[in-house]
Amino acid sequence: MRPVSGDGSTQSKPHAMGMIRPAQTSGDQNSEARITLTLPRNAYFMSGIRDFTLQMVMNMTGFSEQWAFRFQSVVDELCNNAIEHGSGPGTEIKATFISKPNESIEILVEDTQTGMVPRTAEDMRKILKDRLSEDHLQSTSIRGRGLAQIVYSWTDELKFEDREDSKGLRVRAKKYLSKS
Amino acid sequence: MTKITTTIEPISLGDELKDVRIVKFDGQLDETNVDIEAQKIYQIFTESKKKVVLIFDLSNLTYLNSKSIGYISDWNSKAIESSGKIFVACAHDNVMDVLRVVGLTNIIDFHLTVEEAKLSAMNV
Repeated sequence: MRPVSGDGSTQSKPHAMGMIRPAQTSGDQNSEARITLTLPRNAYFMSGIRDFTLQMVMNMTGFSEQWAFRFQSVVDELCNNAIEHGSGPGTEIKATFISKPNESIEILVEDTQTGMVPRTAEDMRKILKDRLSEDHLQSTSIRGRGLAQIVYSWTDELKFEDREDSKGLRVRAKKYLSKS
Repeated sequence: MTKITTTIEPISLGDELKDVRIVKFDGQLDETNVDIEAQKIYQIFTESKKKVVLIFDLSNLTYLNSKSIGYISDWNSKAIESSGKIFVACAHDNVMDVLRVVGLTNIIDFHLTVEEAKLSAMNV
Protein backbone atom coordinates (compact mmCIF):
# COMPACT_ATOMS: atom_id res chain seq x y z
CA MET A 1 0.00 0.00 0.00
CA ARG A 2 1.33 3.43 -0.86
CA PRO A 3 1.74 6.12 1.85
CA VAL A 4 -1.39 8.03 2.83
CA SER A 5 0.09 10.51 5.28
CA GLY A 6 1.11 14.05 4.41
CA ASP A 7 2.41 17.45 5.38
CA GLY A 8 0.92 20.94 5.67
CA SER A 9 -0.70 23.20 3.13
CA THR A 10 -2.15 26.67 2.64
CA GLN A 11 -5.30 28.25 4.02
CA SER A 12 -8.00 30.21 2.26
CA LYS A 13 -10.25 32.93 3.63
CA PRO A 14 -13.87 32.08 4.42
CA HIS A 15 -16.65 33.08 2.04
CA ALA A 16 -20.34 33.83 2.14
CA MET A 17 -22.90 31.06 2.41
CA GLY A 18 -25.24 30.11 -0.38
CA MET A 19 -22.85 30.68 -3.25
CA ILE A 20 -20.26 28.78 -5.18
CA ARG A 21 -17.59 31.08 -6.38
CA PRO A 22 -13.94 30.92 -7.20
CA ALA A 23 -12.07 32.22 -4.17
CA GLN A 24 -8.75 32.37 -5.89
CA THR A 25 -7.44 31.72 -9.36
CA SER A 26 -3.96 32.12 -10.69
CA GLY A 27 -1.77 31.20 -13.61
CA ASP A 28 -1.90 31.55 -17.38
CA GLN A 29 -2.62 28.77 -19.86
CA ASN A 30 0.75 27.05 -19.45
CA SER A 31 1.57 27.63 -15.81
CA GLU A 32 0.17 26.17 -12.62
CA ALA A 33 -3.43 27.16 -12.04
CA ARG A 34 -5.07 27.12 -8.63
CA ILE A 35 -8.82 27.49 -8.34
CA THR A 36 -10.60 27.46 -4.99
CA LEU A 37 -14.34 26.99 -4.65
CA THR A 38 -16.19 27.49 -1.40
CA LEU A 39 -19.54 25.83 -1.12
CA PRO A 40 -22.21 25.42 1.51
CA ARG A 41 -22.59 22.10 3.26
CA ASN A 42 -25.16 20.86 0.76
CA ALA A 43 -24.77 18.17 -1.89
CA TYR A 44 -27.13 20.19 -4.09
CA PHE A 45 -24.10 22.04 -5.45
CA MET A 46 -22.16 18.93 -6.39
CA SER A 47 -23.73 18.60 -9.84
CA GLY A 48 -22.17 21.94 -10.78
CA ILE A 49 -18.85 21.00 -9.20
CA ARG A 50 -18.81 17.78 -11.24
CA ASP A 51 -19.49 19.70 -14.47
CA PHE A 52 -16.75 22.17 -13.60
CA THR A 53 -14.27 19.38 -12.82
CA LEU A 54 -14.94 17.57 -16.08
CA GLN A 55 -14.51 20.67 -18.24
CA MET A 56 -11.46 21.90 -16.33
CA VAL A 57 -9.60 18.60 -16.54
CA MET A 58 -10.44 18.11 -20.22
CA ASN A 59 -9.53 21.66 -21.21
CA MET A 60 -6.66 22.64 -18.94
CA THR A 61 -4.57 19.65 -17.98
CA GLY A 62 -3.68 17.36 -20.89
CA PHE A 63 -5.48 14.41 -19.30
CA SER A 64 -7.68 12.22 -21.48
CA GLU A 65 -11.47 12.27 -21.35
CA GLN A 66 -11.39 8.99 -19.44
CA TRP A 67 -9.27 10.55 -16.70
CA ALA A 68 -11.45 13.65 -16.67
CA PHE A 69 -14.44 11.45 -15.84
CA ARG A 70 -12.36 9.58 -13.25
CA PHE A 71 -11.23 12.78 -11.56
CA GLN A 72 -14.85 13.95 -11.60
CA SER A 73 -15.71 10.92 -9.46
CA VAL A 74 -12.73 11.52 -7.17
CA VAL A 75 -13.81 15.12 -6.53
CA ASP A 76 -17.45 14.14 -6.00
CA GLU A 77 -16.57 11.43 -3.49
CA LEU A 78 -14.19 13.65 -1.51
CA CYS A 79 -16.62 16.55 -1.36
CA ASN A 80 -19.51 14.29 -0.39
CA ASN A 81 -17.40 12.84 2.44
CA ALA A 82 -16.55 16.34 3.63
CA ILE A 83 -20.21 17.36 3.51
CA GLU A 84 -21.55 14.23 5.18
CA HIS A 85 -18.87 13.49 7.77
CA GLY A 86 -16.74 16.59 8.19
CA SER A 87 -19.18 19.47 8.34
CA GLY A 88 -21.95 20.58 10.64
CA PRO A 89 -25.04 22.62 9.72
CA GLY A 90 -24.26 26.14 8.56
CA THR A 91 -20.65 25.43 7.67
CA GLU A 92 -18.82 25.36 4.35
CA ILE A 93 -16.38 23.11 2.59
CA LYS A 94 -13.56 24.28 0.35
CA ALA A 95 -12.35 22.56 -2.81
CA THR A 96 -9.08 23.70 -4.38
CA PHE A 97 -7.96 22.48 -7.80
CA ILE A 98 -4.27 22.73 -8.66
CA SER A 99 -3.55 22.06 -12.29
CA LYS A 100 -0.03 21.75 -13.63
CA PRO A 101 -0.57 21.43 -17.39
CA ASN A 102 0.88 18.26 -18.86
CA GLU A 103 2.08 17.23 -15.40
CA SER A 104 -0.59 16.73 -12.74
CA ILE A 105 -3.99 17.60 -11.36
CA GLU A 106 -4.62 17.85 -7.64
CA ILE A 107 -7.70 18.40 -5.53
CA LEU A 108 -7.67 19.61 -1.92
CA VAL A 109 -10.91 19.32 0.02
CA GLU A 110 -11.16 21.03 3.40
CA ASP A 111 -13.90 20.57 5.97
CA THR A 112 -14.43 22.11 9.38
CA GLN A 113 -14.41 18.90 11.41
CA THR A 114 -17.81 19.84 12.79
CA GLY A 115 -19.67 16.72 11.67
CA MET A 116 -21.44 14.27 13.98
CA VAL A 117 -18.24 12.26 14.47
CA PRO A 118 -15.22 14.53 13.86
CA ARG A 119 -12.36 12.68 12.18
CA THR A 120 -8.71 13.60 12.36
CA ALA A 121 -6.13 12.88 9.68
CA GLU A 122 -4.99 9.89 11.72
CA ASP A 123 -8.56 8.60 11.91
CA MET A 124 -8.87 8.85 8.15
CA ARG A 125 -5.60 6.99 7.55
CA LYS A 126 -6.89 4.17 9.73
CA ILE A 127 -10.30 4.12 8.00
CA LEU A 128 -8.60 3.93 4.62
CA LYS A 129 -6.20 1.21 5.75
CA ASP A 130 -9.08 -0.85 7.14
CA ARG A 131 -11.15 -0.49 3.99
CA LEU A 132 -8.23 -1.37 1.75
CA SER A 133 -7.77 -4.60 3.70
CA GLU A 134 -11.43 -5.63 3.26
CA ASP A 135 -12.62 -7.95 0.52
CA HIS A 136 -14.74 -5.38 -1.25
CA LEU A 137 -16.48 -8.00 -3.37
CA GLN A 138 -17.97 -9.42 -0.18
CA SER A 139 -19.09 -6.03 1.07
CA THR A 140 -22.83 -5.79 1.70
CA SER A 141 -22.71 -2.19 2.84
CA ILE A 142 -24.28 0.60 0.80
CA ARG A 143 -21.45 2.95 1.81
CA GLY A 144 -17.69 2.70 2.01
CA ARG A 145 -16.61 2.29 -1.61
CA GLY A 146 -15.82 5.90 -2.47
CA LEU A 147 -12.55 6.51 -0.66
CA ALA A 148 -10.88 3.13 -0.83
CA GLN A 149 -12.02 1.97 -4.23
CA ILE A 150 -12.57 5.10 -6.31
CA VAL A 151 -10.38 7.84 -4.82
CA TYR A 152 -7.48 5.59 -3.87
CA SER A 153 -7.55 3.64 -7.14
CA TRP A 154 -7.66 6.70 -9.35
CA THR A 155 -5.03 8.89 -7.70
CA ASP A 156 -1.28 8.55 -7.21
CA GLU A 157 -1.07 10.41 -3.91
CA LEU A 158 -3.70 10.57 -1.20
CA LYS A 159 -2.88 12.56 1.92
CA PHE A 160 -4.87 13.44 5.03
CA GLU A 161 -3.83 16.52 6.97
CA ASP A 162 -5.13 18.27 10.07
CA ARG A 163 -5.42 21.93 9.14
CA GLU A 164 -2.86 24.24 10.72
CA ASP A 165 -5.57 26.16 12.56
CA SER A 166 -6.90 22.87 14.00
CA LYS A 167 -10.30 23.69 12.58
CA GLY A 168 -10.72 20.89 10.15
CA LEU A 169 -9.42 18.16 7.93
CA ARG A 170 -7.77 18.56 4.55
CA VAL A 171 -7.64 15.74 2.01
CA ARG A 172 -5.24 15.97 -0.92
CA ALA A 173 -5.59 13.71 -3.93
CA LYS A 174 -3.15 14.01 -6.82
CA LYS A 175 -2.90 12.33 -10.21
CA TYR A 176 0.16 12.54 -12.45
CA LEU A 177 -0.28 12.62 -16.19
CA SER A 178 2.74 10.37 -16.65
CA LYS A 179 0.97 7.63 -14.66
CA SER A 180 -2.38 7.91 -16.45
CA MET B 1 -31.74 17.97 -6.43
CA THR B 2 -29.89 16.56 -9.43
CA LYS B 3 -32.22 15.59 -12.28
CA ILE B 4 -33.06 11.91 -12.51
CA THR B 5 -36.04 10.01 -13.86
CA THR B 6 -36.58 6.37 -13.03
CA THR B 7 -38.98 4.31 -15.11
CA ILE B 8 -39.85 0.73 -14.24
CA GLU B 9 -41.49 -1.36 -16.94
CA PRO B 10 -42.73 -4.90 -16.27
CA ILE B 11 -42.09 -7.30 -19.16
CA SER B 12 -42.89 -10.95 -19.77
CA LEU B 13 -40.27 -13.49 -20.69
CA GLY B 14 -42.81 -16.32 -20.79
CA ASP B 15 -42.16 -17.55 -17.26
CA GLU B 16 -44.85 -16.91 -14.65
CA LEU B 17 -42.42 -17.65 -11.83
CA LYS B 18 -40.41 -14.56 -12.68
CA ASP B 19 -41.16 -10.91 -12.03
CA VAL B 20 -39.10 -9.22 -14.73
CA ARG B 21 -38.76 -5.45 -14.91
CA ILE B 22 -36.69 -3.09 -17.00
CA VAL B 23 -35.45 -0.23 -14.86
CA LYS B 24 -34.27 2.82 -16.78
CA PHE B 25 -32.49 5.79 -15.24
CA ASP B 26 -32.37 9.10 -17.13
CA GLY B 27 -29.94 11.64 -15.69
CA GLN B 28 -27.41 11.37 -12.88
CA LEU B 29 -27.54 9.37 -9.66
CA ASP B 30 -25.81 11.20 -6.84
CA GLU B 31 -25.99 12.07 -3.17
CA THR B 32 -29.03 14.31 -3.66
CA ASN B 33 -31.36 11.82 -5.28
CA VAL B 34 -30.22 8.21 -4.95
CA ASP B 35 -31.87 7.51 -1.59
CA ILE B 36 -35.25 8.52 -3.00
CA GLU B 37 -34.84 6.59 -6.26
CA ALA B 38 -33.60 3.52 -4.38
CA GLN B 39 -36.89 3.21 -2.53
CA LYS B 40 -38.66 2.61 -5.86
CA ILE B 41 -36.46 -0.42 -6.45
CA TYR B 42 -36.77 -1.74 -2.90
CA GLN B 43 -40.55 -1.57 -3.30
CA ILE B 44 -40.32 -4.20 -6.05
CA PHE B 45 -38.63 -6.62 -3.66
CA THR B 46 -41.16 -5.85 -0.94
CA GLU B 47 -44.20 -6.42 -3.16
CA SER B 48 -43.12 -9.27 -5.41
CA LYS B 49 -43.70 -12.89 -4.45
CA LYS B 50 -41.78 -14.19 -7.48
CA LYS B 51 -38.14 -14.41 -8.60
CA VAL B 52 -37.16 -10.81 -9.12
CA VAL B 53 -35.22 -10.22 -12.33
CA LEU B 54 -34.20 -6.62 -12.96
CA ILE B 55 -32.62 -5.36 -16.15
CA PHE B 56 -31.05 -1.96 -15.60
CA ASP B 57 -30.97 0.06 -18.82
CA LEU B 58 -28.22 2.64 -18.20
CA SER B 59 -28.23 4.13 -21.70
CA ASN B 60 -29.28 7.54 -20.36
CA LEU B 61 -27.41 7.48 -17.07
CA THR B 62 -24.44 9.84 -17.29
CA TYR B 63 -23.09 9.64 -13.72
CA LEU B 64 -23.40 7.52 -10.61
CA ASN B 65 -21.62 7.86 -7.29
CA SER B 66 -20.32 5.25 -4.89
CA LYS B 67 -23.52 5.14 -2.85
CA SER B 68 -25.50 4.34 -6.02
CA ILE B 69 -23.11 1.48 -6.66
CA GLY B 70 -23.70 0.28 -3.10
CA TYR B 71 -27.43 0.19 -3.79
CA ILE B 72 -26.93 -1.79 -7.02
CA SER B 73 -24.86 -4.29 -5.07
CA ASP B 74 -27.59 -4.54 -2.43
CA TRP B 75 -30.32 -5.01 -5.06
CA ASN B 76 -28.24 -7.80 -6.53
CA SER B 77 -28.18 -9.51 -3.12
CA LYS B 78 -31.93 -9.11 -2.75
CA ALA B 79 -32.57 -10.46 -6.25
CA ILE B 80 -30.44 -13.51 -5.49
CA GLU B 81 -32.35 -14.03 -2.23
CA SER B 82 -35.53 -14.27 -4.32
CA SER B 83 -33.76 -16.75 -6.66
CA GLY B 84 -33.68 -14.04 -9.30
CA LYS B 85 -30.88 -11.90 -10.69
CA ILE B 86 -30.04 -8.44 -11.95
CA PHE B 87 -28.48 -7.44 -15.23
CA VAL B 88 -26.96 -4.18 -16.39
CA ALA B 89 -27.16 -3.04 -20.01
CA CYS B 90 -26.00 -0.13 -22.18
CA ALA B 91 -23.70 1.53 -19.62
CA HIS B 92 -21.70 4.53 -20.87
CA ASP B 93 -17.92 4.13 -20.83
CA ASN B 94 -17.47 6.37 -17.77
CA VAL B 95 -20.22 4.56 -15.88
CA MET B 96 -18.76 1.19 -16.83
CA ASP B 97 -15.34 2.43 -15.70
CA VAL B 98 -16.51 3.24 -12.19
CA LEU B 99 -18.51 0.01 -11.92
CA ARG B 100 -15.36 -1.86 -12.91
CA VAL B 101 -13.05 -0.11 -10.43
CA VAL B 102 -15.27 -1.06 -7.49
CA GLY B 103 -15.46 -4.65 -8.69
CA LEU B 104 -19.14 -4.79 -9.61
CA THR B 105 -18.32 -6.30 -12.99
CA ASN B 106 -17.12 -9.39 -11.12
CA ILE B 107 -20.48 -10.09 -9.51
CA ILE B 108 -23.10 -8.76 -11.97
CA ASP B 109 -23.75 -9.60 -15.63
CA PHE B 110 -23.21 -6.70 -18.01
CA HIS B 111 -24.57 -6.53 -21.57
CA LEU B 112 -24.17 -4.17 -24.48
CA THR B 113 -27.91 -4.10 -25.20
CA VAL B 114 -31.18 -4.62 -23.35
CA GLU B 115 -32.09 -7.36 -25.84
CA GLU B 116 -28.93 -9.28 -24.91
CA ALA B 117 -29.79 -8.87 -21.23
CA LYS B 118 -33.32 -10.18 -21.89
CA LEU B 119 -31.89 -13.29 -23.52
CA SER B 120 -29.69 -13.92 -20.48
CA ALA B 121 -32.60 -13.24 -18.15
CA MET B 122 -34.57 -16.05 -19.79
CA ASN B 123 -32.05 -18.51 -18.32
CA VAL B 124 -32.47 -17.41 -14.71
